[in-house]
Amino acid sequence: MGKMTPRELVAATLRFGRPARVPRELWTLPWAEENHGAALAGIRARYPDDIVRPPAVLRRPLKTSGDEYKPGVYIDEWGCRFENRQSGIIGEVKEPLLGDWKDWRSVRVPVERLTLDTARVDAFCRATDRFVLARPTVRPFEQLQFIRRPDNLYLDLADPPDELHRLLERIHGFFKEEMELWATTAVDGLFFADDWGSQNALLIAPALWRRLFRPLYEDYIAIARRRNKFIFMHSDGHIEAILSDLVEMGLDAVNAQLFCMDIEGLGRRLAGRLTFWGELDRQHLLPYGTPDDIRAAVRRVGRAVWRDGGAIAQCEFGIGARPENVAAVFEAWDEFVPGR
Amino acid sequence: MLKELQEALLAGKKTEVEILVDKALAAGLPAARILNEGLIVGMERLGVMFKNNEVFIPEVLVAARAMNAGLAKLEPLLVEAKVQPRGTVVIGTVKGDLHDIGKNLVAMMLRGNGYKIVDMGIDVSPEKFVEAARTSNASVVACSALLTTTMVQMKAIVEAVRAAGLKIPVVIGGAPVTRDYADQIKAQGYASDAASAVEEVGRLLAA
Repeated sequence: MGKMTPRELVAATLRFGRPARVPRELWTLPWAEENHGAALAGIRARYPDDIVRPPAVLRRPLKTSGDEYKPGVYIDEWGCRFENRQSGIIGEVKEPLLGDWKDWRSVRVPVERLTLDTARVDAFCRATDRFVLARPTVRPFEQLQFIRRPDNLYLDLADPPDELHRLLERIHGFFKEEMELWATTAVDGLFFADDWGSQNALLIAPALWRRLFRPLYEDYIAIARRRNKFIFMHSDGHIEAILSDLVEMGLDAVNAQLFCMDIEGLGRRLAGRLTFWGELDRQHLLPYGTPDDIRAAVRRVGRAVWRDGGAIAQCEFGIGARPENVAAVFEAWDEFVPGR
Repeated sequence: MLKELQEALLAGKKTEVEILVDKALAAGLPAARILNEGLIVGMERLGVMFKNNEVFIPEVLVAARAMNAGLAKLEPLLVEAKVQPRGTVVIGTVKGDLHDIGKNLVAMMLRGNGYKIVDMGIDVSPEKFVEAARTSNASVVACSALLTTTMVQMKAIVEAVRAAGLKIPVVIGGAPVTRDYADQIKAQGYASDAASAVEEVGRLLAA
């Protein structure tokens, strides 16, 4: 068998088809570039990504203002206002866009996102041998939080008003359109995100999640399946309660905080059915561990979840992470030998 | 009647809590008893349910809202009867950090368990924690951080509290924080969630 291209490597991983090595993707926050630019460049040179993102050029510009990663105020394309005091990460919504549910119709969806230059995306896909993962902005729970502010939304979710359902329907309708648009391009995979876990548990009751939000993800996954695209999800926190649901619906890969969950338990339940797209503990190991700790962590994850595929070497070089630890993640995955 | 009050609180029924507090007062129950055996026991039960993943953040917030409504009716009477809170907790998110939902949950649970809360909000400097602790005669300082870069402020808070001569414990929490980190910076307490925070504060004040 000839050498696999990065695209083939990722696809083989997702299909549990015994790829030649574990594929890689490094996520970074601007903080990493600002504080460890040279080290970051070195890591990228030694461990180039197998997964890349296409350009998202829009024919009509988004209506935003400010810089989402700089101190100050940033207004996103929905009109949500973020306050930030730290450079290199996104801020927090303090004043909700929607203070009163009676005004729900005033929330505009960023239709500019539907003016994506798909020809440019296709050209990008043709010009690379890497796995191209689309980046629609699909995140219904998060967007609702930004619109209402998290504490208001949690109170709403205790007894959801009709207006919440109607707004969620509008948001979901828009996200489906955006997902469909990306699905028509030559990308290899589609992606959606929502952070569902606290450190120890789901943020809302699993029954509520299944009633209000599971159907949305089911639709996004179905869009991907209809167009023969792989489908990836990101969700922070302890999300064990919903992982089986996501696998049942046909999710291919999840980026989740494995180290706040029972890694071995996840492996027993889901290895061979779901690809674990990282992550390597960014809360504790990456900032405070040693390269040896990192190597041990990678071996642990590999033992738990690798089944002739099913893992992607991924971590986030974010606030506080040590460059030598980030490098150790990819070094360790390159050395990973199943069963050892 | 107090059991009914607990159930109404757990169900987040704000109006019913207010009505039941009024009924209990009209029946001659002292405000302190309604507080301790009604609201506080209700919140203690809520804390256990939260730890056991029987309720989640929405249920905790509506229960806390109901609790606050009941407490608002009792507070003037508690002050008149000179009923003392279990302790005073100065709480805030550390300097440079704007995240507050975790901190707010902890504050609600502590208030519901009979503590007076001085909520400093977000982006609070060590100096402001110390000033608030001094002026409110606090029993505990509690600080929260969500970022690995801002949690370093917790060490400064511990040192500032000690340098100010305040012999009160500092409890820390937040996603990147661990018990090891608390030990490392000589914080006296650590809690991984809101329910544990109530236990930890109780433990520290009993010591």
